[in-house]
Amino acid sequence: MSEVDDLVAKIVGQLQSGNTSSATTAAPAASGKELGGADYPLYQKHPDLIKTPTGKNVDEITMSNVVNGNITPKDMRITPDTLRLQGQIAANAGRPAIQRNFERAAELTGIPDDRVLELYEELRPFRSTKQGLLDTAAELKNKYNAPICAGWFEEAATNYEKNKKLKGDN
Amino acid sequence: MKRQKRFEKLEQRPVHLDGFVKNWDAEGLVAENGVNDPTPSIKIENGVVTEMDGKTADEFDLIDQYIAKYGVNLEKAEQVINTDSLKIANMMCDPNVSRSEIIELTTAMTPAKAAEVISKLNFAEEIMAAQKMRPRRTPMTQVHITNTLDNPVLLAADAAEAAQRGVPEQETTPAIARFAPMNAIAVMVGAQTGRPGVISQCSVEEALELSMGMRGFTAYAETISVYGTDRVFTDGDDTPWSKGFLASCYASRGLKMRFTSGAGSEVMMGYTEGKSMLYLEARCIYITKASGVQGLQNGGVSCIGMPGAVVGGIKEVLGENLLCMALDLECASGNDQAFSHSDIRRTGRMIGQFIAGTDYISSGYAAEENIDNTFAGSNMDVLDYDDYITLERDMAVNGGIMPLEEEQSIKIRNKAAKVVQAVFEGLDLPKITDEEVEAATYGSGSVDMPKRDLVQDMKAAQGLFDRDITVIDIVKALNNTEYKDVAESVLKLAQQKVTGDYLQTSAVFEAGWKCVSAINDANDYEGPGTGYRVWEDEDKWNRLENVPWALDPQKLEF
Repeated sequence: MSEVDDLVAKIVGQLQSGNTSSATTAAPAASGKELGGADYPLYQKHPDLIKTPTGKNVDEITMSNVVNGNITPKDMRITPDTLRLQGQIAANAGRPAIQRNFERAAELTGIPDDRVLELYEELRPFRSTKQGLLDTAAELKNKYNAPICAGWFEEAATNYEKNKKLKGDN
Repeated sequence: MKRQKRFEKLEQRPVHLDGFVKNWDAEGLVAENGVNDPTPSIKIENGVVTEMDGKTADEFDLIDQYIAKYGVNLEKAEQVINTDSLKIANMMCDPNVSRSEIIELTTAMTPAKAAEVISKLNFAEEIMAAQKMRPRRTPMTQVHITNTLDNPVLLAADAAEAAQRGVPEQETTPAIARFAPMNAIAVMVGAQTGRPGVISQCSVEEALELSMGMRGFTAYAETISVYGTDRVFTDGDDTPWSKGFLASCYASRGLKMRFTSGAGSEVMMGYTEGKSMLYLEARCIYITKASGVQGLQNGGVSCIGMPGAVVGGIKEVLGENLLCMALDLECASGNDQAFSHSDIRRTGRMIGQFIAGTDYISSGYAAEENIDNTFAGSNMDVLDYDDYITLERDMAVNGGIMPLEEEQSIKIRNKAAKVVQAVFEGLDLPKITDEEVEAATYGSGSVDMPKRDLVQDMKAAQGLFDRDITVIDIVKALNNTEYKDVAESVLKLAQQKVTGDYLQTSAVFEAGWKCVSAINDANDYEGPGTGYRVWEDEDKWNRLENVPWALDPQKLEF
């Protein structure tokens, strides 16, 4: 248990000292030991590690804070840090593919709902040109700091070209 | 021909209303071991798959490419391809081989290898293997909550009753698409009234479904379909890359999700490439794994009529559920579509999953009369409750649905109807009358409900989007009423999406918002005396022992 305690202390330290609300922050435990099955459920085991996008603690989501306006719909979102912690838990429980999904998801937390829905639409068959997919990849990289998702679009561009799923191929 | 009287009587039995066909391999009308199924193979050069299941990389379609890149654990892939499929099949059903040991191998199979392994098992062996391979220790089930009139009061009452019967997940869908957000809200508040922690979804078009999740009207999604041939995947208006991306979209909003697939969908949509149902479904399961999605709804699902029509089809369906679980994916195992006119046969169809236990034995037990089930009817419905519960009691199995006293049902249905009445008032939606509350409390179907103004309701449903209503508005509306407890539950549900705990494999909420999943409730079956046993689950065992229709022999007067 002491290993876990050390780790938690380290993570809490990182969270308290750093900016936790930005989509650009690295996973809190990236530099140290990772979370695993023993740290689950995260909310029960490490409530202090879970923040809302505006930096409030998850326990501040209470009825009185909702009524007095301290908690708004903006707070009711998972953060990239929390997704990366859950990704570590999944990977260390033997499910690395889930971690990869959560890492893509962590990047998407910073993109507005409407744009996220459009991004999905662009990947559907026969919607986009190759250049269109590559342009979006560049936007993901440059505007949203989402390199993993950018790679996803680049990979789709290559494979859609080869397998005839680009705009006009139908 | 002069008719033989017994044959004439047999022809009148309900089973003869079902459809059956002989195999036709070229059109994919074959459950397992199709003559055109590829021979398992894999070649890896410098960490990249250059050949899989008889195709070289330049011959890969999108599905092959996706699975080869993300779906197979390459570390052990060559070792596994060279291991006798019979040996892997044997390990799967042998209780002395641990779940974690076998998963190292199954996640390194190719789709063709997986289909070959599963085809070696008989039905009883599939049951043995499934009880070990299910990711979550505790078996559960999921219900459908719908009615043909999209009546929100009845939806809420049915949701509350089903929650009290013990289900952790509820799925609704609208009869008329534009009702979707109103149905989603009615089921969500009904479920929270029935038992805080029950999560709900609303099955509609992919992008609309995601937007309802973003607003907090739903807590999870499941009808994210994937298919086993490239042509059908495209006809379904997606690619593996779009579906994989959609999975990440859900996770980015803290929403649980699983994919959907199932034997027969490629036959129904006309492009099987002449491959067997099991092989094509194996591809779907590996696509799911590749996407990093935590689970899958499979087992024929809405295309169950196809595997149901061919020889060995129901064994194949249990086999595809087993393969899903053997890839360490949460499995919602079908049993959700009206399947047969024969009561004997529809019981037989679900018995494998029922005995073995899966994460959700049914991915939609109809928690309304089938006539009100807008998913086109389920294999079992509310009028089967007492038969189903008696089977659980007879066999000492937890099938996920528990008995409920009539008085308790009336009480919770009434409360849910009043809660949704209060939500409608608070959100300025068309009025729900006391007469409607009374009808939903005591009624059994939409036929028992007073008629509502559907046009007005439809406009109001659309208005929920236009007015940008979110779950916070629902919480505030309820908090201004006597139903502060439900307001707290709805808020708690929204809070859970911030924590991400229920994004993990097979996760649900038990009493007190305790999040249980394959991580903290991992299946530990290793033979007799281990794993989940319903008689060790005191609450459920008591409920089954004391069904309302069991007499107490010590209190009988003779």
